Amino acid sequence: MADDITNCRDLEAHLAPYVDGEAPPATRRAIDAHLDACPPCRDHAETEAAARDLVRSHRDSLAARAPESLRARCREMAQSPIAIDNPQSTIRQSPISNRQSALRRWAPLSLAATLVLAVAGVFLFGLNDRVEALAASLAVDHVKCFKVSDGDRHADAAGAERRWQTDQGWPIVVPETSPAEQLTLVDVRRCFTTDGRSAHMMYRWRGAPLSLYVLPESIGRDRVVDKMGHEAVIWCANSRTYALVTGEGHAGDLAPIVEYMKAHAK
Amino acid sequence: MAFRRPPAGRDENGFADAALSHIDSLYGTALRLTRRAADAEDLVQDTYLKAFRSSHQFEPGTNLKAWLFTILHNTFRNMRRHDGRNPVDVDSEAVERASDDGPEVQSPEQILSRATLDVDLQAALDALPEAFRQAVWLRDVEELSYAEMAKVLDVPMGTVMSRISRGRRALSEGLQARRAGHGVGLVRKHG
Repeated sequence: MADDITNCRDLEAHLAPYVDGEAPPATRRAIDAHLDACPPCRDHAETEAAARDLVRSHRDSLAARAPESLRARCREMAQSPIAIDNPQSTIRQSPISNRQSALRRWAPLSLAATLVLAVAGVFLFGLNDRVEALAASLAVDHVKCFKVSDGDRHADAAGAERRWQTDQGWPIVVPETSPAEQLTLVDVRRCFTTDGRSAHMMYRWRGAPLSLYVLPESIGRDRVVDKMGHEAVIWCANSRTYALVTGEGHAGDLAPIVEYMKAHAK
Repeated sequence: MAFRRPPAGRDENGFADAALSHIDSLYGTALRLTRRAADAEDLVQDTYLKAFRSSHQFEPGTNLKAWLFTILHNTFRNMRRHDGRNPVDVDSEAVERASDDGPEVQSPEQILSRATLDVDLQAALDALPEAFRQAVWLRDVEELSYAEMAKVLDVPMGTVMSRISRGRRALSEGLQARRAGHGVGLVRKHG
């Protein structure tokens, strides 16, 4: 092993075990000697150690919990000799089998249900169908996203559309800021609570946060749902589902903005 | 616990239970790999299917989680080969070369010791080139050994170590850039 690390390049392969405390003593001494003499490498080592500690201390929050539905499917596979022993009759044969795409179509909604269970279990009793679960999930996301974003921002609709197309691979139409409607576009982001596939357009309308979500599939019905102090107006068009979500202060008064969004989000 | 696969019966259940106890780790790792919940679910399900089918190949006494991760990563590589949507930073050689040319990080203590939003960290991790992201994740979150990682990732151990190192530093740079307010990592994705 390298007992003599004179060249900075030699260090590269030894730095991880050094920072992890797993380098053999001789190597450790050689690295110590090099770091004493070489401030840039010392910076590298310190940066690496800090990042390592940071990730490790956030392990719990980085970890994910597998959805119950997935857990159940995998458990089922373990108990199903057909799925295990006969590759031809597996639960699914390819990532895009029909069954799977059907499953996937509902995944956002079941995921929404999971989230609601986690975030506001008490509301579950009121969730008599998936649309309500979706609305509740979007309400949570609405609150969360406005909390972490800069509400005074002004975003450019055309630019956001281009970025979305490039990053996500499907087009959205982002209704523009409209002084006449007292509507300002704040941001467009990916909505993680609906499977990471929906677009979340964040606005200020008459001074208050308002969200328009676009899901890349139709859920097949229009609804108005009151959930967790938020109103969600949901409509389907062009094989998409749109959901307008807003909080306090707009009760019963959403008609003009819904009209505007319907006209401009197509 | 004996994991050798008998014709039928209790040990099979023992293996399945032991394997299923790692589902959260597998799902979390799959999420970091695919960055989409639906794809992560697919990936985990495929992984278990293969694991149950080939449980007889598992060597008792070795790390079951690492074995499952190996299947997960192989499955992911295959999945992506058949999936045009995801041409994301697979060029690991470019990745190996890429990282060290960024601006110097002036003060890691200062940057990293402030309370870091989980959201930031998650986003910075997701913005890392794939090879780095996997290395940091498997090492610092899943705590695999270098040797286990070499198997999972199918690269030499020296490469594993250097990816961990560079990945951690790139993460730190990404966080720094994020803090500067633009959410843009310094290490760019390859497309």
